[in-house]
Amino acid sequence: MENNENKCENGQKEQDHQIDYRRDREWLEKPKHIFILSEAGKPIYTFHGSEDKLASLFGVMQALVSFVQQNDDGITAIFAEGYKIVFLVRNSLILVATSRTNCSTHQMQTQLSYLYNQILSTLTYSRVNRSFEKRKNFDLRILLSGSERIIDNFLVHDNSVRKVTNDVFSNLTNSISIMKIPITDRNNIVSSIQSSCSKIKDLIFAILLAKNQLISLVRLKNQTLHPVDLKLIFNLIDCSESFKSTESWVPICLPKFDMNGFMYAYITYLSEDCEACLILMSSDCEAFSVLKEAKSKITDKLRRNNCFNAINQEIFSNGYNLDALNIPEMVHFVYKPKGIYQIICSEIKPPYTSVSEFKKLEGIYFDLYRKIHKPHAPLKLIYEVRESEAALAWVTTTHELYAVFQPTVEKNDVIMLVDKLFKAIAKDNDNLFIKNHPYF
Amino acid sequence: MATRKKSLLKVIILGDSSVGKTSLMNQYVNKRFSTQYKATIGADFLTKEVVVDDRVVTMQIWDTAGQERFQSLGVAFYRGADCCVLVYDVTAPNSFKNLDSWRDEFLIQAGPRDPEHFPFVVLGNKVDLENRQVSTRRAQQWAQSKNDIPYYETSAKEGRNVEQAFQTIAKNALAQEAEVELYNEFPDKIRVQSDGNRNGNSDNCQC
Repeated sequence: MENNENKCENGQKEQDHQIDYRRDREWLEKPKHIFILSEAGKPIYTFHGSEDKLASLFGVMQALVSFVQQNDDGITAIFAEGYKIVFLVRNSLILVATSRTNCSTHQMQTQLSYLYNQILSTLTYSRVNRSFEKRKNFDLRILLSGSERIIDNFLVHDNSVRKVTNDVFSNLTNSISIMKIPITDRNNIVSSIQSSCSKIKDLIFAILLAKNQLISLVRLKNQTLHPVDLKLIFNLIDCSESFKSTESWVPICLPKFDMNGFMYAYITYLSEDCEACLILMSSDCEAFSVLKEAKSKITDKLRRNNCFNAINQEIFSNGYNLDALNIPEMVHFVYKPKGIYQIICSEIKPPYTSVSEFKKLEGIYFDLYRKIHKPHAPLKLIYEVRESEAALAWVTTTHELYAVFQPTVEKNDVIMLVDKLFKAIAKDNDNLFIKNHPYF
Repeated sequence: MATRKKSLLKVIILGDSSVGKTSLMNQYVNKRFSTQYKATIGADFLTKEVVVDDRVVTMQIWDTAGQERFQSLGVAFYRGADCCVLVYDVTAPNSFKNLDSWRDEFLIQAGPRDPEHFPFVVLGNKVDLENRQVSTRRAQQWAQSKNDIPYYETSAKEGRNVEQAFQTIAKNALAQEAEVELYNEFPDKIRVQSDGNRNGNSDNCQC
């Protein structure tokens, strides 16, 4: 991994020698903090600031956790005025999130659990375990160094600090975005991969993605890829520009697949005229050259079958367009079919194209999601008329929909507009979602 | 390889109630002393950056409560410590006698890998007071008998020897921090089961 002394995503990490964070307004007022520490109370990671300067605070967190553990109990969350502090204890690690936003405890725990999996993905469960078994005072940062930016990257997306992208909604719904591609083209892509890979021993998954959206997943017979594992792969690709210029051979642990071992991923972009990323994952650490060969076959076939065009068309498009569907009163939506972890979002259009307005949209969806999925008291339908938009959340036996409308929309029209959208999606269903990931 | 982070040392301060643990820490970190006694509840945490042999090290100091009723918290606090500082009051013979049980308690609760060589430092505090009851010789003998624990006589009030004592604490703790064997492990080979994978950490759903 490259030298990464200064975590550029958060800027100020290394220039803060003199700062006492407990008195630093800017630090204190961050909407969200994430801390990871060992069971001994030693710092491993902080999203904002430097761990060393916060060593005392990490001690306090360990004390809180262990104080409750004394009574064979576990701490889940602390609610203070305007704050929520959520804890997750896993395998010698303590993960803590604080939030001033309207995230639910469950959502925050999901995020923490993802970060835990991110650490396993870099080190494997057994490595983390063995390190702490040998020495309780082990400093896990030694093994993680260089990988912090992968965690940073997830957190930036998870709560889009500065980016305006639909990626945040796939995290919200624990799903993967699927790239919209005509089914005939997608079938062509799949068969190009299948015919180039069918005889390769130990090849387990072949993944093609672009713009944080899945184009295709081909797998070894009877093997499944958990959405959490796939998301870890997405995040890795997203935060490493270097994959664009070289081919890489990267050990990755997929915790839901096997949390104790590494898969070996051959990662490369298809070509200069088609910037989709191909990931071939093998259980054999010596498979590099075989997979490299397969990649060039895949690329040739995709080019010959005109698949580059189909992919490029979507890469350069802004996404699912509501005006083209003749539903201009609907400003944005997130649609998730029941039973699969896939979503489709519409193109982000004004006013939500600015960071501040987009944050508002994000807030609305987080709020709706929290309310409609309230544990023990889930709802089916929420319709709210707000100051500058009307918002809808609707969960049925077949799908979930979150949408915002222009404030002037009539309540009666909303049903009609949603109906129109559902019909359009139904018609396009085969191109929007992947029903079954094929085998090699 | 990526740049190595600074070392971080977890230092636990133990000793009877009111021997001056918090005062020592305050003198060391904040260069302040107060004659007012405030019992520590549970534990206090302070951070201090020190330079040892040209290396910058962060000390995470756990100042624990000496009072009996907080002892149940021991295990939780002692776990993963890099150094343990035992403090007694030179004017209070009982606090000196109790060093044995503090040390034993720590070793049992923390369960360090190599208890024989775990870095302790002993501090005889309040040497600025006139009614001294425990002689230097007696304390030194005790420290020597426990595998040569370094011994310092300190005054948190006057700041005497505090800096030196903590420097030794950091140095000895750091010496213990053996280089981690980074590359001697081969990762487990991944297990692929024909009927789907079951070695993951949860449910078996797919995208």
